[in-house]
Amino acid sequence: MKKLLLGGAALMALSVGFTGVTTGSAQAQQCTTKIGAVLPTSVDWGRPIAEVAQFAVDQVNAAGGAGGCQIEMVLRDTQVDPKVGVDAARALVDLDGVEVLLGAVSSGVSMPILTSVTVPSETMMMSCCSSSTAFTNLAEQGETKGLFFRTFATTGVQAAVGAKVAADQGWGKVAILYKNDDWGQDMARIIAADFAEAGVEVTGSVALNDAQPSYRAEVAQALSGQPDAIYLALYPAEGTMAVREWIGLGGTQNMIMANSLKSDEFKENVGLQYLAHAYGTDTASPRAESADAFVEAYRARFEAEPTGPGLANSYDAAMLALLAMEAAGEGATGPQIAAAIPRVTDPEGTPITADTAGFAQAKEVLAGGGTVMYQGATGNVRFDANGDVSAPAVIWKFGESTIEEVQYLPLEEVNAIMSDG
Amino acid sequence: MIGVISYLVFFATVASILAIAVLGLNLHWGYTGLFNGGVVAFFGAGAYGTLMLGGAPQPHLGGFEWPWIFALIGGVAAAAVLAWIVGLLTLRLRHDYLAIATFGVAVAFENTMRNAQGFAGGAQGIRGFERPFREFAGNGLGWNLLYLALVLVALVATYLFLERLARAPFGRLLRAIREDEEAARSLGKSPARIRLTSFVTGSAIMGLAGGLYGTFYAFVSPQDVLPILTFQIWAMLIVGGAGNNRGAVAGAFLIWGAWTASGWGLSRFAPVDWQLYAGSIQWVLIGSVIVGMLMWRPEGLFPERVGEDRPQTGRTT
Repeated sequence: MKKLLLGGAALMALSVGFTGVTTGSAQAQQCTTKIGAVLPTSVDWGRPIAEVAQFAVDQVNAAGGAGGCQIEMVLRDTQVDPKVGVDAARALVDLDGVEVLLGAVSSGVSMPILTSVTVPSETMMMSCCSSSTAFTNLAEQGETKGLFFRTFATTGVQAAVGAKVAADQGWGKVAILYKNDDWGQDMARIIAADFAEAGVEVTGSVALNDAQPSYRAEVAQALSGQPDAIYLALYPAEGTMAVREWIGLGGTQNMIMANSLKSDEFKENVGLQYLAHAYGTDTASPRAESADAFVEAYRARFEAEPTGPGLANSYDAAMLALLAMEAAGEGATGPQIAAAIPRVTDPEGTPITADTAGFAQAKEVLAGGGTVMYQGATGNVRFDANGDVSAPAVIWKFGESTIEEVQYLPLEEVNAIMSDG
Repeated sequence: MIGVISYLVFFATVASILAIAVLGLNLHWGYTGLFNGGVVAFFGAGAYGTLMLGGAPQPHLGGFEWPWIFALIGGVAAAAVLAWIVGLLTLRLRHDYLAIATFGVAVAFENTMRNAQGFAGGAQGIRGFERPFREFAGNGLGWNLLYLALVLVALVATYLFLERLARAPFGRLLRAIREDEEAARSLGKSPARIRLTSFVTGSAIMGLAGGLYGTFYAFVSPQDVLPILTFQIWAMLIVGGAGNNRGAVAGAFLIWGAWTASGWGLSRFAPVDWQLYAGSIQWVLIGSVIVGMLMWRPEGLFPERVGEDRPQTGRTT
C-alpha cells in the first residue's frame, strides 16, 4: 500500500519536474519539491506565522534549495477548525505528495492531523506552536513513530523560569490569569506547582475565555486574593483587555508574562508606563554572534521586529525541516527525513547560522558526511526522544523600542531549575 | 492516482458523516419545524460518549474500553438522553426562542467539556482511542476504505429510516404540527409528545454522526464542538433543501466539497502574494455561496415534495 502511495508521489514529482523544466530555475535545478503547511492564516496572529515560514523557504531556495530541488511551500488555512485542518493535511499528503508538513498551531488541530493523517501515511510533521503535553504522552507511548517534532519549548521551561522571577523579585503571593485552552490550562497547572515549589503562594487561578467583550468579572476575582503580582498566560488580544481592566481596578503592576505576550501590539495598547515591573519569560537564542542573523534578516524583510507569538518558532520549524530534507537527500520519505533531524541538531556539529549563508554552509558540511548544529531563532534547538525541544531561556522586559534582556539562563541552568521543580 | 483515490475516500467519509448529521437536522427543521441552534451539542455528546466508553483508560473519566459498536451505541444514547432533558425544558419554546435556547445549550456543552478536566479531559480533549478493525484492515487506505463502507451503511440506513418515517402517518403528523399545531391538537394529537419524539430521534442521529466522527479521528476536543459546526450543518441543509432527505445529503456533499475545494483551489491557483490571504478569501467565498443560495433559491437545490405519492394530501397552510 505504502509502495503504491509512493508511486503516486513519484508520479506527481515527475509531473512537477516537468513544470520545473518549463519555468527554468536560475539555479539550474530541474525539480521542485513540495512541502505542506497547515496554519491558521485566516486568524490575525496566524498570518505572520505563515509569512515567516515562507520567508525561511525563500532563504533556502536562495541557497539553492534542499535535497537537490527548489522548495515550494503549499500553504493551507486551518480556520482553527479540526475538520478543515485535517482535510487540508490529507489533501497535501495525498494530492500534493508532501513528505513534510509544517503545522498546525492549535493542539486541537495538530492532534487529529497527527493521529489520522501524518502517522498513518508516514509523513514528518513539524509544529511551530502546539504546546499540549498530550503530544509528549503520545510520543512516550510510541504512537508518533518519531515523526512528530515541535519547536515550541514545552510549557515546563516557561513555568519554571516564571516561578524563578517571582522568587527573585520577592513576590510572595501571585494570582494567575490564563487563556482557557489546552495551552493555558497546562500553563496554569504547571506554574501553580512551580510556584508552590518556590514557596510562592497562589492566591487564585482564573481562566479567561476568548473573545469576551470584558474580563472585569475574572479580573476582579483574581484581584480579590490581594496578590503581590500577577502571572499572565494570555495572548495579546485578551491580554491587553485583561491588563487594562486589572490596572483600572487598582491591581498591582508587578507582572510575569508568558512569551505569548511578547508583542508590540500588547505593549502599545497597554502602555509602556504600566509595564515597568512586567517581566517576561521565553526561550532564548544562544550567546553567539550568529544568533542575531534571524532578527536582522527579519527586520530587513518585514521592516518590523520579530516579536509576535510563534514567529521564531515557525521560522525554526521550517528551517529545521528543510535542513533535515537536505541531510536526508533527494527523494527522501517522511521517516527518512525525520531520522535525519539529529544530524542537523547535533551539539557536536558545525555551528550554522539561521540564514541563507548558514544553509549554504550546512549543505557543504552535510554533503561531506558531517553534522551541523543549527543555531536558530529560538536558540540552539535540540529535540529529545519525544520530539520536544529544549533551549536556553531568557527573562525579558519591554523597552522603549525593543525587547530588553534582563537575564540569560543557559541550557544547563534551565535544566537545573527544571529538575528542581 | 492512488493519492487521489485516498483523498476522495477520506473526503467521502467526512462528507457522509456530516450528511448523517444534516439528516438529523432535517428531521428537526425540515419535518417538524424545530429550530435547533445547538446541533453541535448532540453531535459532541455522541463523539464524547463514544470515545469515553470505547477509549483506553485516561486520567479523566472514561476509558472503559467497550467494544466499538457498543461504545457507538452508548454515544448515540448519550446524545438521546441529552436531547430528552433539553427537550423537556425547551420544547415549549417556539422558533427563534428555541433556537436561542438550544444555542445556549451548545455553548454550555462546549464550555463544560473545556473546563471539566476531570470529566472529559478539558481543553486537551480525549485521545487514546483504538480505532476498530485495525488488526485486519491496517492503518492506511485499507482501513479508510473499510470505514467509508461502514459510514455509508450508516448513512443509507439513516436515509431509508427517515424516508420511511416521512411517508408514514408519523411523518404526516410531524408536518401537521409544523404547519399548524392548533389544528393537529384539535384532531386529538399531542404535539408536545410528538415534538419531543422528533427532537430526541433527530438528536440521536446527530449523535451517531458525532460517534462516527470521533472514531474516524480517534480524538475529540472542545475545538470540535464550536458553534461553527452548527452553522456548517445548517448551511448544508439550507443549500440542499429543508424537508428533503435527498437534498440534505446532497447539501452536505456540496457545501463540504465547496469548503475544502475552495481551500485547495486557492492554495494551488492563487498568486503567491495572495496565498496568505487565501484563508480569508475562502470565508468570503463560502459566505457568498450561502447568501446567493438564500437569495435566488431559498427552497434549496432539492425542494420539499409533499404528497406526490399520495395525491389527496396537500400542504396545509
